[in-house]
Formats: sequence, structure tokens, C-alpha cells
Amino acid sequence: MRKPPKVIVVIGVSATLLAVLPIAYLGLRLFEGFDRALAELLRFRTLELLGNTGLLVLAVSASALLVGFSQAWLTTRSTVKFASSFAVLAALPLAIPSYVMALGYISLFPTFSGFFASWLVLTLATSPYVFLGVTAALVRVDTATEEVARTLGFGRFQVLRRITWPQVRPAATASVLLVALYVLSEFGAIALLRYDTFTRAIYNAYRGSFDRTSAAALALVLLLITLLVIWFERRYRGIYLANTKALGKRVRVDLGSWSWAATAGLTLVAVFSVGIPMFSLLVWSVQGSANLDMPMLLDALWGSVRLAGLAGVIIGVFATAIALWAVRYRTRLGAWVETASWATHAIPAVVVGLALVFFGANVTPWIYQTTWMLMIAYLILFLPNALAAISTPIAQVSKDLEDVSQSLGVPANRTLFKVVLPIAFPGIIAGVALVALTVLKELPATLLLRPTETNTLATRLWGATEDLAYSQAAPYALLLVIIAGLPALALNAQARKALSEVRG
Amino acid sequence: MFRKTLALAAFASVSLAGCSAAPAAVENSPTTTETATEQPLAEKSSITVYSGRKEKLVQSVIDQFTTETGITVEVRYAKSAEMAAQLLEEGDNSPADVFFSQDAGALGAVAKAGMLIELPSEIMGLVPTEYSAADGKWVGVSGRARVIVYDPDKVSEVPTSVFDLANAEWQGRIGIAPANASFQAFVTAMRILHGEEKTLEWLKAMKTNAVMYPKNSAILKAVENKTVDAGLINHYYWFAMSREIGVENMTSKLGYFKSKDVGNLINSAGVGILSDSNAARSFVEYLLSKTGQQYFVGETSEYPLIPGVVAGVELTPMDQIPAPEIDLSDLDSLEETLDMIREAGLI
Repeated sequence: MRKPPKVIVVIGVSATLLAVLPIAYLGLRLFEGFDRALAELLRFRTLELLGNTGLLVLAVSASALLVGFSQAWLTTRSTVKFASSFAVLAALPLAIPSYVMALGYISLFPTFSGFFASWLVLTLATSPYVFLGVTAALVRVDTATEEVARTLGFGRFQVLRRITWPQVRPAATASVLLVALYVLSEFGAIALLRYDTFTRAIYNAYRGSFDRTSAAALALVLLLITLLVIWFERRYRGIYLANTKALGKRVRVDLGSWSWAATAGLTLVAVFSVGIPMFSLLVWSVQGSANLDMPMLLDALWGSVRLAGLAGVIIGVFATAIALWAVRYRTRLGAWVETASWATHAIPAVVVGLALVFFGANVTPWIYQTTWMLMIAYLILFLPNALAAISTPIAQVSKDLEDVSQSLGVPANRTLFKVVLPIAFPGIIAGVALVALTVLKELPATLLLRPTETNTLATRLWGATEDLAYSQAAPYALLLVIIAGLPALALNAQARKALSEVRG
Repeated sequence: MFRKTLALAAFASVSLAGCSAAPAAVENSPTTTETATEQPLAEKSSITVYSGRKEKLVQSVIDQFTTETGITVEVRYAKSAEMAAQLLEEGDNSPADVFFSQDAGALGAVAKAGMLIELPSEIMGLVPTEYSAADGKWVGVSGRARVIVYDPDKVSEVPTSVFDLANAEWQGRIGIAPANASFQAFVTAMRILHGEEKTLEWLKAMKTNAVMYPKNSAILKAVENKTVDAGLINHYYWFAMSREIGVENMTSKLGYFKSKDVGNLINSAGVGILSDSNAARSFVEYLLSKTGQQYFVGETSEYPLIPGVVAGVELTPMDQIPAPEIDLSDLDSLEETLDMIREAGLI
């Protein structure tokens, strides 16, 4: 077996260690204050939080499935009018960070808060994930079976339930688990909408109790729940074998007299998920434009761009190294490093941020509150995203080219840098851009770890929103959607594929 | 097996790092505690301030300080309680020289962790003792009073005590902001002075009687619009609004409860030093100078805390407010207060 270059091993192993360190530190801290942590966890409040969080996760998962699945089926499999426009509208909420959507609502309806508000906003924010996942599966459903079922006298709904649904169920389940993870780790929207889940309680315990043990204890519980959901997701994913064969022309179901109801339903969802929040942001931005502190806005924009750019490059280098190791060398350590960086996937950003405050202040004070600390947080949080985006272009470089290069006497490592990387480069750059755009939207870790006097669009937006200064917050929110959300959506490979398939 | 070994190795490296960091922290600590002795003070040309007060409010006075003294100031802004939590976590490694807090509770928490130096008497002496820490760990910078704002058409007489608002006659007539830090500090004071049981009872009555608002200024607007008859706010919101729309256009009035009622709590924004230096001291002295105090009076209508600086003419002089007697450092049990407000169903 070929050995990977040393630089790749060093980068890969250090990424893994970085990812594991803060979590281990959290555990260590709990171990020290075990009695207090236990007392915190045995309070009735923990049960209450568990109930609140569970309820929200289940409710949002169910409604996001219903909304996302309906959108996917109607746009790909029915004769509903303007199908491709509705498909774009269904994916569009991905461009709006959920805390921006929450801001859009509370600035219009000041009393909008609690369970219902959180449920509505998170449903709207997460149903695009189901929509994209189910659309991809739906276009591959064998329509011949459906037609046979129809000729055997099945009604349209029966076909949907007994023939179509079983075929897309694995994709739908995977998407719903993604939604569940999203809700578990969501912080900004839930904090703004004042519904008590673990993330909000962790943040409040951190800032309100002057006792960090309880925050750490709650964070660990959230971590365990998250791991449980990930484990569940992995199990399900194992069963799911994607059917990748291309099929002939899809048959669209004639909705007949239901057509208007479908159009109305899709329009309604679009109004709630895109119309109302964007309208609200625009109105408040216009109102706030008179008092807009331009230097402050530019300073935040520069802060955002600088941090996101740097993070993109750093995470890109790490992800490229790990992807090369895992894809081109296939050593056991390489596979392990890849799995380890995935294992930290979906650890709530609040937990990562908090763990790094604990860790940074006490163990590595020399980089605490510097850009580097923040970069470590971003690396932990977004390495999995980058791996997903960068592995594909690297895997796609033909193995033959490498063999040719080596048969011509070029050393393996040189082949890597002269052949593999240049070919994969455009794909890598796209991956880096996507990660940088995701970093722009990050809130909780940035809030906790940013260097003193560094502000980003997200932190300014958060500060203004906490002071209920909506007209001050709105321009930042709008700018965030324009410079981060929309380009990210445009670069999102899954979204592009789904949207092109709806048209096809 | 292989995985296990690696995981163990990672954990071991953490514990090792933890061990090696601990002695360093111990070695560092004497430098921060020996300030009471007459050692020459560290000379710094730049200090870091953790500010729980808003950027909009204090950045310009900090800029003035830099212009006048040449000392540059790095400021980290967040809510006071968050800042306190962060300081506690950072411990002796904190990059902060000075903690400027919106309220006394957060300062109390940091002081109790032994992180604030004892301020010299020439600084403590500037401010009346009731507005600073009894142990000299922090000094008050400006004062604010809890008041009841009321619509004189609907309320003929201010109730004797804030506890009277629990009576049935007040149902649906009083506005409160349970998520607001000042309201929470007032509830903490009530817990300390009147006990947990009585406070919870009062909060539960508020669940029935009160109309909830997200913040103080919204309560004031509601009283002005005649949506509610009265509300519990900080005094300066009324003056901010009167500056905006003209005092003659204000329909509401400010009132006080009687005889040292907890509803009249006077809280102070204050400042403490974590890492002593001439620069940190001059920053604190600047906030307590006539210029600094005048700035807060003019900008916020808060009460100045040094003699010789005149509060806004319309303000009831602070010594005439029947405020409760309490050590403001004790207002640091925020979590218990939050639990109780939550238990009463207010947030």
C-alpha cells in the first residue's frame, strides 16, 4: 500500500486532535465538578428541557417532512402550474439564515415567541432540506410501476401511499434526520423566539448563572442526544441503496380540480418562508437606512469577509489533505481520520464555542481571543461540509492519469501535486467558496470566540436584535442574505441538481 | 482496538495539558493580589476593557479618554452577565484590565471569585458608599432608580408598596418587562430582602395582573398611549422620551413607593479593576471625573455619583428616593431569579 506524504498525515491527524480536544476538555471539566454537574442534571428543569427540545424536534421534523415532500411531489410529479418557479421558491429559504428569518418575523410581530413561533420558523427554514432530498429520489422513481398500479384500479392517493412513498422513504428519512439535527443544534432563532431548548438553556446557563459547570453539564447532554440521532441516521443510511439508474420521461399526475388548491398551498408556503421575512427586512432596512452607520457596516462587512476568507482557505487545505488521504491512499489511519472529522459533525456550535472558551482561556491563553481560536472553531464546525464538497472532485480524477504519470517515472508525491490537484482544483475552489459562505452566517461560536474589537455582520445583527433595534439590524440581515445566502444556494450542488431535474 | 488507543491518547494529552497549565496559573496569581502594597504600578499605554454597557452609549466617552490621556483602549462589548461569565471562565488568564458593568450583580460575581483588586481609597472615596461594593472591590459610576410610571388619569395615588400591585384591583393594568436585566436585578433584591416564597408569590400574581413587554421603553410607550395604566421601569427612560418628544407632551408621571420599598431599588453601573496599572486607574478616575460624570448625566439621564455634578433638573434627587438598603454586590444570584421568573411563567 502506498504511503501518503508526511504533510498530509500531519494535517489530517492534527485536524482530528483539534476536533476531539474541546469535547474531551468538556468531559474533563465535568469530571472535576461531577457532584455539581449531577445536581444540575437531576433538576426537574433538565426534564423540562428534554421535553421542550424533544417536542420541537418531533414537531418540526413532521411538518418539514409534510411541507418538503408535498413541494417535491407537486413540482416533480404533478401538473401543477409554474412547477420550476415553485421549485426555486422551495429551495430559496436555504439562503436565509434561520435567525434572520426569526428576526423578520419578530420585527413584524413583536409578541411572536414560544413554541409555535419556533416551530413555524424552523419548519420553514428546514423544509428545503426535505424538498431537495425527496426531489432527488422522486425523479428516480420507476413510474412504470405506478402506471401498472393505476390500471389495476388504484386511486391517485393510493398510488402515492403504496407505490411512490416506499420508494422515496429512505431519502425522506435521511432528510428528516438532517432536519432533526438542525433543530437540535439551532441556537439563534430559538434564542430570539424565546423557546427553552437545550441550546438556549446552555447559553443562558453560561451567561446567567456565573457557574459554568451547569452549562457544561447541559452541553454534554445535548451532545449525547445529538450523537444518538447521528447513530440513528447512520443506521438508516446503511439500509438505503440509492437507485441511480436514469429513467425515461417522467409521467406527471394530472391534478384536475385539485390544481388550484396545490397552487394555493405552494404559494402560501412561499409567502411564509420567503415573502414575509424578506418583506419585513426590506421595510425595516428602508426605515433604518436614514440612521445607518456606514463605517460600522463596512467594518462588519470587512470583519465577516476577512474571517470567512481565511477560514475558507484553512479549512480547504485541511479538507483537501484529508480527502486525498482517504480517497487516494485508502490507509486505515486515513479512513479513521475521515470518520473522526465526520463524528464531530452536527455538534452544536454553542457547545463547540463554549468548549473552546473553557479550553482556550485555561490551556492555550496565548491564542485565546485571537483569530486563530476562531479558526479552530470553524475548522471543527465546518470541516465535514468541506470534506463533502471536496472529496467528489478529488475522487473524480481518473486513476489512469496517475498511473500514466508514475509509469513515466514521476514520483508519487510529485504526481499528486502536478496531476491530481490541478485537475481537481476547480472543484476544490467551489468547495472552499461554499464553506466560506457558510462561515459568514455562523453566529454562536463567533459570538463567544471573536477577537476583541472584531465585529461581523452576524454579531452586529445579533447585538442590534437583542436590543430590539430592528431597523438597525435589518440592513445587516439583508446584506447577509445577499452576500452569503444566495451565492451559497447557487453553489449548492444538491440544490442545482434538484432544480435542474424539476425542469427536465 | 486501534481507535480506543487513539482516543485514550487524545484524552491523555488533554489531561497533561491541563496539569501543565495549572501551576502556571498559581505562579501568576500573586502579581494580581499584591496591589494593596506600595509597589510601583505597572505602566501601560494600552488597556483592555470588558464593557457590559452598550457601545452606542460609552464608546464616545472612551474615545475622549484616549484623546486626553493617550492611553488606547480595546473594548469588548457584550451583556454584563455574559461578560462576567466570560471573566470567571478566563480566571487569571483574562486579557481584561477593567470590567465596566451595567449592573452591580455581575460585578459582585466577579468580585466574589477574587478577581477584582481592592480599589485605592482615593477612588472609593469619590462615591457614597451605598453605591459601591462594601469591600472596595468595585466603584459605582452612575445610578439608576426603579420607578413606577403611571397615567395620572387612571391612577390617582401611587401604591404604598410594589407588593400592592399583586392585589386584584391591578389586574391587567400594570406593564412589566420580565426579560429585562434591570427587572431581574429588582427581583433578585426582592428575593434577598423578602425571601423566596414571598417573591414567587408576587411573581405569580404578576402573571395574572401584569401585561408583559419586551423592554422598558415599550412599557413607557404603552403607558403614554394609555394601553396600560402603569408600569415598572428605570427612571431614565422617561427622560429619554421627554427629550425626544418634549416634556410638555408627556402624559405619564414617575412615582415612588413609600418607606424603603424594594420597588425603589437604586442600582448602579460600576467598574472594577482586574489587572492593576496606572492606565487602568486613570480610566476609572476618568469615569468618575466631572467630565465623565457629566457625560453620563447628559447622555443617559442617569444619576451622577460624585458631589458637584448636577443631575438633570427634573430628576428627584437621589437622596430623597425612599430606596431599600441592600449591598449591591449581593445581587449576583441571577440564575435563581431566572428560575423563579420562569417558574412563575413570566418568560
